[in-house]
Amino acid sequence: MNNRKQWISTKIRLGWMFLAAGVIVAAAGIIIGVEYSHLPYNFRIITGLGILLIGIGIGYLVRYKSAQKDEQSARRISVEERDERTVAIRSRAGNRAFLVETGLVYIGLMWVSFAANGSLPPLEGDTLWFFLAAAMLIPFAVYIGSILVDQQNT
Amino acid sequence: MKNRLEEFRNQMNWTQQELADRVEVSRQTIISLENGRYNPSILLAFRLARLFNVQIEELFLYTQEETHE
Repeated sequence: MNNRKQWISTKIRLGWMFLAAGVIVAAAGIIIGVEYSHLPYNFRIITGLGILLIGIGIGYLVRYKSAQKDEQSARRISVEERDERTVAIRSRAGNRAFLVETGLVYIGLMWVSFAANGSLPPLEGDTLWFFLAAAMLIPFAVYIGSILVDQQNT
Repeated sequence: MKNRLEEFRNQMNWTQQELADRVEVSRQTIISLENGRYNPSILLAFRLARLFNVQIEELFLYTQEETHE
């Protein structure tokens, strides 16, 4: 029981930390964007990251603050998230996604190396953008797919 | 790994949800355990054995031929 309360308190603290970090990053993005508007850099990326962190923080706080008040929901959330089978499935999915990501980065690295001596066309412009997008989306798809398959099979 | 979880649970007249609540795992984990699709951690195995007041070997049946996952 105590352990569960402690776990929820930790999550709430984490939520506050995300929120605070988000506010700082977003504010920094806005201020730097105004102060250094002459620089050829889109500072909205920093502001966007801040907003993302704020969103994560609020998500944590909404989820775990309600759990803190209601023992039943605290128990449900705690069991849901700490269930050993679920944790094992997520870990396995993470491992697979990591391997795929490493493979894609390796391919990219090899491509750039071969492109340097003219064996392959260089990765630039749209091709580079699509490659980077794939390097982000494919591991994510592997992660989600792996969770779905393992939920069925284990 | 085979187990007698369902048999012991039925003896106690517990639903899968009740058993899941007692050992603090999800109902899905109990279903997977009973179907033999999931092997529990040593801690969960102990918790289940203690709950039914039996030895782990009585609850989980290890056979030499089993391949490692």
